[in-house]
This record gives sequence, structure tokens and C-alpha cells, in this order.
Amino acid sequence: MKLAGNDILIQSLIKEGVEYIFGYPGGASLHIYDAIFKQKEMQHILVRHEQGATHAADGYARATGKPGVVMLTSGPGATNAITGIATAFMDSIPMIVISGQVQSHLIGTDAFQETDMIGVSRPVVKHSFTVDHQSNIAKIIKEAFYIATSGRQGPVVIDVPKDLTNPVDLFEYKYPSEVNIRSYNPPIKPEDSQIDRAIEAIINSKQPVIYAGGGTISSNASKELFELNSYMNAPITNTLMGLGVYPASDKNFLGMLGMHGTYQANMAMHHADLIIAIGARFDDRITNTPEKFAPNAQIIHFDVDHSSVSKIIEADIAVFGQVKDSLQAINSKLRSRLSEINDSRLDAWHKQIAEWKEMHGLDHDLYKNNSDDGPILPQAVVQHIYHASNGNAFVTSDVGQHQMFAAQYYHFDEPRKWINSGGLGTMGFGLPAAMGVKLAYPDEEVICITGEGSIQMCIQELSTCTQYKLPIKIFNINNLALGMVKQWQDMNYDGRHSSISYEDSLPDFTKLAESYGHVGIKITKNSQLKSGIEEAMSIKDKLVFVDIYVDPNEHVYPMLVAPDGSLKDMWLGKGEKT
Amino acid sequence: MIEERQLTLIMENKPGALVRVVGLFHQRGYNIESLHVEPINNFKPYKFIEDELDTKFSEGEISRLEIKTTVDDPLMRQILRQINKLIDVIAVSGNEGTYLKGVLRDENLL
Ligand SMILES: Cc1ncc(C[n+]2csc(CCOP(=O)(O)OP(=O)(O)O)c2C)c(N)n1
Ligand SMILES: [Mg+2]
Repeated sequence: MKLAGNDILIQSLIKEGVEYIFGYPGGASLHIYDAIFKQKEMQHILVRHEQGATHAADGYARATGKPGVVMLTSGPGATNAITGIATAFMDSIPMIVISGQVQSHLIGTDAFQETDMIGVSRPVVKHSFTVDHQSNIAKIIKEAFYIATSGRQGPVVIDVPKDLTNPVDLFEYKYPSEVNIRSYNPPIKPEDSQIDRAIEAIINSKQPVIYAGGGTISSNASKELFELNSYMNAPITNTLMGLGVYPASDKNFLGMLGMHGTYQANMAMHHADLIIAIGARFDDRITNTPEKFAPNAQIIHFDVDHSSVSKIIEADIAVFGQVKDSLQAINSKLRSRLSEINDSRLDAWHKQIAEWKEMHGLDHDLYKNNSDDGPILPQAVVQHIYHASNGNAFVTSDVGQHQMFAAQYYHFDEPRKWINSGGLGTMGFGLPAAMGVKLAYPDEEVICITGEGSIQMCIQELSTCTQYKLPIKIFNINNLALGMVKQWQDMNYDGRHSSISYEDSLPDFTKLAESYGHVGIKITKNSQLKSGIEEAMSIKDKLVFVDIYVDPNEHVYPMLVAPDGSLKDMWLGKGEKT
Repeated sequence: MIEERQLTLIMENKPGALVRVVGLFHQRGYNIESLHVEPINNFKPYKFIEDELDTKFSEGEISRLEIKTTVDDPLMRQILRQINKLIDVIAVSGNEGTYLKGVLRDENLL
């Protein structure tokens, strides 16, 4: 079959099973948009800013496991997307970003809307391609999808000069059935010898902790993780990126660890004799001071990426490979050695952890206090949302105190339900990400827990939600300030609140939402909290924006003491340290 | 120990491949002491790679890159692993060994 470049591009995406393209058109992508117009298999979602397109595609990818697809024009269209590409890169999310480019003969001449997109995006992509000829388009698309979705996943940029998508010149098109990139070999099989060493360590440990992160979710290995711990019966903690990969309601779950992790999770990590890191990368928000990290622990590290192992914390036993494969391998060996695992070996350890939890664990019953006396606690807001949504909604979030409260108080029992920018910490992520999730799962509840600072970074997407009728629920935890920055200023700068406030210039968010055709609900008193949240959840066919005025002085605790602290050094309240 | 070390890479001779390697050094804060790159015309020493990858190299297709950098052991290992992840890199070697097909061999084969 002979097709023009623009049709080859679009037909190739259809062949990859793409349902949605998130994008924004312009001069360099006009031919491509004409090809989009002529087909029916994929829907193009017109966002209001290219950053929104990348986050929406990212949300879609996190929720489904399939790559999100973004379409951009050259120059400003492409550069507007960089934040979203970097967000996906830091969290290893599969994404295909197609950027229009000026015509081949104009490249390098500072042509109108020319930017070196390959150069600008290089540090934040897994790989990138420049299309050099129409007859290579199909092969490049095939390779891009393969690279984005294999090994340690990530975003791939494809830059397409406009002349190579012109509708006039026709070329032979056949979508390749196979892909072979000789210099790229992502799947590695776990080594038996390392698995055996890991099993010895597990059997001999008295104070083990499993520490599972986002890589376990990318690898779709939550079932295997659960099986592993059914043999080990060990305390288990998840990173911010890993929440949901192990059921939060399980008795062995310690909650999140790290900067704002629970007391028991951080204490257990610090005192462990064995840490089993699974698809997690010892980020600085997890380790605190690396030299003081878990002084007595042997480390087993399961990861698909060699460069993540022994980068920050030296691993004693390293199991390379897809986490799912590695866990299957260790599970099948463990199954035959169950008699060697002494059931009572961890009794003292579990008892110690229960004591820690009793002493300084989070209070999950704050929502029961409905008295109007005090201001609304942001923690209680999340608890109400959790109960009103039966704990099984998709929850996206932004960045700040509200994000940490969401992570601490919404208990995720399934993977891919908690959607947040962990690595880059991108304010503005929550709303567009929720759009991507809602498009993927129209019948599921999709909630965005945000702050009045973050929501304003991509608030234009409220218009996109009107256009495509996306009835997501937005809960704006409104503390009238850049709360997380303010918290640091309170704690480290004697309360000098430098540039964190805009109290007198905030919009009336409910009216703003209404002007887009959405429903707005304002909550200012504790007595309105439960009913207001329940009312929002009962509205199924419209986007609801719930603006909740909370205590502006609340801090997130626990919080690791830095610099120079270990994981057992935490602030537990204002002026209260471990 | 911090000392000067050499890394050797065999990579696809594609536009943008070199800058990815150089960019990685900058991005991760490693220093480049010296750098030499040229296309490979004699494939004899790389027959084992052709066999391993089940491929045949042809003229102008691949290049050899040598980089000198002054780092300690753990950092050298980290650099090797980061370079190994670059899609256009076929093989990379240094004192830790050689990465080929994403797997580490103990000897320096390049
Ligand atoms: C794009 C971007 N700019 C700046 C920051 C730094 N930052 C982290 S949290 C935060 C405050 C967020 O305020 P808000 O959304 O109101 O959340 P709150 O902490 O008040 O709950 C800021 C400015 C960031 N993470 N992302
Ligand atoms: Mg705020």
C-alpha cells in the first residue's frame, strides 16, 4: 500500500493500538492533523496547553500501563511540553511524544518556530528519533513504542520535519511486525545464584523489611509481591511511587516511608537487619543521610536498571531483571523451602513494630470530629474523601502538603490507582492527569486532590473537561498559601514567609468552575465537610470542583530531620522531635 | 581510588549518538579529560560482537569512542552503567568489565 508521510504516521499509531492522542496543533503539524481528521479509530483530545497534553497522556499511561501519546507542533508547542516529558522520565512512565519540526531544508536557519527539540529534550527522554525519510516513519514508530515500553520504561520523542508529512508524495507502507534494535537488549533474566543468596538472607533474617517502589507497579508485579510476602510475613512499606502495589489494608503494611513516611515505616527501615528493595531506587527523599541509612541492614535489591543498583546505597545482593520475572523466580524457589521459614522468627520484630505504631502512628480517625469549633483539618478532608469514595477511586494529586496528606490518609489497596508526580514533583500535574485517567476509565471514580497553588498551574484544562465531558472530582485543599514552602520557612527560616502568599488575589474557584459549566461547592466549616464531600461524590455526570478552606497553619508530620539526620530522626509535631 | 581511567565504546554511527554520550557526562556531573571518536573500518577485532548480536557491520555504520575521565571506582561503575543504557551504544568497557547486550562480562573486551 502506498501512503503519504502523514498517513503513514497516523496509521502506524493505530497499528500500535492507540486510543487517544493528547495534543495541540500548529504550522509544523498541519499535515499530521489532516491525517488525524481523516480517520476514526483514534480520538484526538485538544488540550489548552501542551503541558496539559503531556500530563494527560502520563495519567493515562500510569492508570492503564499503556504508553500515552502526545502530538505537538514545533517551537513553543514542543518546549511547552518539556515539563511533562521530564515528569514522565523521572517516574519511568512510557510515553510517545511526536513533535512537528520545520521543513528539512530550513533546519538550522533559525526558521519561524524552529527549536532543536531533540537537543532540548535530550536529558529528559529515554531516547529520541528524527524522521529522515517517509519510508522510515513506520519503523521509527515501532521502535519508539518498543523502547518506551520495555526495560526501564520512559518517554520517547519523535521529531518530524513538516515536508516529510506532506500529503503529495506517496511511499510504500507496511507496518513492521517485528522490531530488532541490535544495540538495545532490555530484558535480562535474573541470575539463579543471586536468587539463592536472597533466599538464604530471607530465611536467616530476624528483622526484615520489604521496601517496594514504582518499579514494582511498572512491572505489574503486585500479585507476585503479595505472594512473596505470604511466605515471608514481613513488614512492608511502599514509596510514594509504590503506593497501592501492596494492599494498604493488609496487617503487614507499614504505610509510606521517607520524608513524610510513617513513624513505624521509618523506624522499621532504620532498625532492619535485612531490607529487600523491589523496584525502588533509594532516592534522597527515602534514605535521608545515606551514610546513616539502615546501619545494620543487609540489602537485597531487585531492579531492571543496573544503574539504579548501588548508586546511592551499596547492595549486598543484586537481582537484575524485570521485577515480575525476578519475583516469580524467587517465589517458585521459596515455595519448596517453606519448612525452613520459622513462623515465630519474626514475633519480636512484629511486636516492636506494633509498639512503634501505637506510640506515634498516624491518627486515621480525625474525620470523626465534626465540631465547628476549630478550623478544618486537611488530614480529615482526605479521610472523608477516602470513606466517601469507598477507598477504590483513582486519585491524582499535585505537589505540596495536600499531596502528602493524600498519600498518608488515602489507603490504596490496588496498584495504578494513586497517580502522582513523585520524582520531579510537578505542580500542575493533578488535573490533566485526572483527564487522562478518566478517558481510560470512564466508569470509574476519578478524584484530583490538589492545592490552590498547584491547581492554578494547569487550570486552563477545566475547559478541556467541559469539551470532552469529563466528570472528575476536584478537591482543592485551600490553605491560602504555598503550604509546603511555608512549612519549610516555619521550620528552617524562623517563620519568615517569603513569597508564599496570594490570599487576596485568589479567584472564587467555585464561580470559576461554574463559568466553565462545572459544579462548584464551597466548604468553610467542619459541619459542611462530610455532607459537602458526599454531595460531590453523588454527582455523576458533571465535573465538581470542591473548594475546601482548611487550617492554614497545619504542617505535614512526620518529617525527617535534615541535614545529617537518619531515618529514625523525625519531627513528629511542631517542636516535637524523636 | 581516584585516578584517570579509560572507557571504550562501540556505538552506532548515527547523528546525535555522540552528543548523547557527551551530554550524559555533563548531566551527571562527570568530567571528560579527553575524547577520541572515529568510524570503524576494520571489523576483525569486533567479530565477537557481530556473532553475539547476530549481525554484520558495514562500512561507516559503527564508531569507536574513547573517553578518559578521572574518577573513583564506584563512580566509574555508575558511568559504565549509565552509558550502557544509551540506546545507540552497542558495547562499553572499562575496568569493571564490558557491557554487551545489557549484560556485564568480567573482562575488558574492547
Ligand atoms: C512547578 C513547580 N514549581 C514549584 C514547586 C515547589 N513547590 C513545592 S510544593 C509548593 C507549594 C504548593 O502549594 P499548593 O499547591 O497550594 O499546595 P500546599 O502545599 O499548600 O498543600 C511549591 C511551590 C514545584 N514543586 N513545582
Ligand atoms: Mg496551598
